[in-house]
Amino acid sequence: MSAARPAGGGALGVWLRGIVRGLAEIPDEYAAAFRRAPRRTALVTLLLALVVVYPFIYRYVFLPRQSALPLPLPDDTVMVFMLIFAALAIGLNIVIGFAGLLDLGYVAFYALGAYTAAFLASPHWHGVSLVLNPDVLPGSPGIHLPFWIVLWLAAIVAATFGALLGAPTLRLRGDYLAIVTLGFGEIVPIIFKNLINVDFALGPIKLVNANLTGGPLGINPIDPPTILGIRFGAISGFNAVYLGMVIVLMSIVIARNLERSRMGRAWMAIREDEIAAEMMGVNTVRTKLLAFGLGASFAGFGGALQASYQGATTSDFFQFSTSILVVIMIILGGMGNIWGVLLGAITVVYVDKTLLPWIGQRFGDIGRALDSPELARINPAQFNFLILGLVLVFMMRFRPEGLIPSTQRRVELHEAPPDQAIASAAVIADQAALATVAEQTAADAATEQALEAEAAEAEAPGQETPSQESREAEDQS
Amino acid sequence: MTVASDGARAVPLTGQVPDDRLLLRARDVSKRFGGLLAVNSVDFDIPRGSIVSIIGPNGAGKTTFFNMMTGYYTPSQGEITFDGQPIVWQKGKGARSRSPHEVTRLGIGRTFQNIRLFSTMSALDNVLVGMHSHLRSHWWDAVLRTPSMLAEEADAKEKAMALLDLVGLRRYADTWARHLPYGDQRRLEIARAIASRPKLLLLDEPTAGMNTGETRGMIAFIRQLRTELDLTVLLIEHDMRVVMGISERVTVLDHGEVLAEGTPDEVRRDPKVIEAYLGRGAAEA
Repeated sequence: MSAARPAGGGALGVWLRGIVRGLAEIPDEYAAAFRRAPRRTALVTLLLALVVVYPFIYRYVFLPRQSALPLPLPDDTVMVFMLIFAALAIGLNIVIGFAGLLDLGYVAFYALGAYTAAFLASPHWHGVSLVLNPDVLPGSPGIHLPFWIVLWLAAIVAATFGALLGAPTLRLRGDYLAIVTLGFGEIVPIIFKNLINVDFALGPIKLVNANLTGGPLGINPIDPPTILGIRFGAISGFNAVYLGMVIVLMSIVIARNLERSRMGRAWMAIREDEIAAEMMGVNTVRTKLLAFGLGASFAGFGGALQASYQGATTSDFFQFSTSILVVIMIILGGMGNIWGVLLGAITVVYVDKTLLPWIGQRFGDIGRALDSPELARINPAQFNFLILGLVLVFMMRFRPEGLIPSTQRRVELHEAPPDQAIASAAVIADQAALATVAEQTAADAATEQALEAEAAEAEAPGQETPSQESREAEDQS
Repeated sequence: MTVASDGARAVPLTGQVPDDRLLLRARDVSKRFGGLLAVNSVDFDIPRGSIVSIIGPNGAGKTTFFNMMTGYYTPSQGEITFDGQPIVWQKGKGARSRSPHEVTRLGIGRTFQNIRLFSTMSALDNVLVGMHSHLRSHWWDAVLRTPSMLAEEADAKEKAMALLDLVGLRRYADTWARHLPYGDQRRLEIARAIASRPKLLLLDEPTAGMNTGETRGMIAFIRQLRTELDLTVLLIEHDMRVVMGISERVTVLDHGEVLAEGTPDEVRRDPKVIEAYLGRGAAEA
């Protein structure tokens, strides 16, 4: 309706009207997409619909018949973790996939997001009482902010630390950057683990035996996400799955919009050739800091969701292995491609949290049936990293570009040898030389042209190799 | 020729180009890599609207000098002023330099000796990266897709397509840079450099690896650029035909020093130049 209102309200009004107009165009765009690629559009629509109704199907169709299923299906908690890790993977993909900066300490930002949510929506600071969340009893001890505010604050805190970490590492590349970020990823959870019994004095600030982070036990309980009185915590069934879907959808939109902007191009330029990018006027310092900061903000989303959903957070939750898990998701799914990264997150969480424990249970069943305690004790979930590592090795061997690769990666890893471009340049040069000869023998020009046209027709498929190849690459994307 | 360095100059030069026909003015510029003096006290001027060349044997310091003009290397000493703005200035005992992206914004665009396109980005995106410093939208504009950002992007795309048209690559707009034929890659690199709206275009061996026909085409193209876009062009070139055919002034560098300077004809006849290029015997013959 705001579109119909008279002009006014300045930039915000213009923007809001733009949004409304954009939303109004969605049906038209959908119809256009359907006309362009009916099968693909139908498939995507079906898939999305399936995702949206899946929690219901799971609960009312599959859960009662679980023992009859050939393979286990993810339950509510696993679904939520799929979505949390999807947000993380989308964020890390900005740093690694878009800007080409290998960050192995991403878990630090996940931890920062979770602890920010814990600090701002729990009875942890029991000395104060600041209740701004209408779903929490007024006068309760501790700080209680509404979830939607906590979510954004967590993202801001994570982004700030992302930029702080980025600042000293900007001159580093490749392996060196990976090592420094790895260190940061170790330091942050350890700090959270150890900031208990803190004695500290600086001017007016005086802490005696202060419990800042809850130590090894972490912070517990944390307010569940509530919106208009509806709870989205772990005990509220699949509500949280939909909350997670909204957050992931938001993350996808933000990441896609960044990718298709001036900033996205600058990130990719830095990934391709940092020196050339700087020579073309890209402020590489600023751009890399933005990649770190904005990438980290998605981990803030993920952390806030984790803490609020589970109602507890501890530093043990944020191991180095979690960083690696997110990197595996990106590589498996397809570095640089948001949809691929999403698939990677879903697959890895499924294997890690549903498939492997289930296989362990089957070993248990078989072992008990055969009366063999050794067999019953086999638990593949214990060596999940061995299995994921093997998967990575096989991926690298057979499909290094990931399940749904970005076009860049596919071209990089599967194109004909680079000499081909030069070879085709030589062909074109030869043709130019031929053309010159043709001009000189003006008398035969007409015949020549006819011959050339024939030749061009005959050779057309061969000549067009480079552009044809790229067109194919684009078609597949 | 060297201006006596009258003590350290603490304040950067601003707007003090004595002759406003000069676009770039370099004085007493040196670059030392450890024990190697790559560029030794070079003075160098580029008049507005001209096409000038730097030539010299391999290792003469040409590319090093280029890299100092674009802010990539900080000179060990010296001053460079571009269009009334300091790019390199003396501070204390050493020199300070603007960073490359600032220099690009001031109006120096460049290409590279060994092509450095963003190889797995489309030709159009390569040109759009060149426009980066003249686009204003921030990351939050991108996230919210504000009307101003969308308008700017549409406008930038249109301008980039026009540039691709200029270099004859419009039909390759969506092709990856690395898939273009070699000559087209060189042209795309020039389009990308022009996209940053330079006043001075630095071309580092633009005809390297080209055959005679392609070289001739490139010479005509550079001339066309100068007149159509009102550019000043500085070339580094090995190919004497290119240098002699196109430049109005030629500076010869050898062992990091200016060996000779003048019109192409003067330089060609200079015995010192012949000696440097062909050896002592050739100069005497």
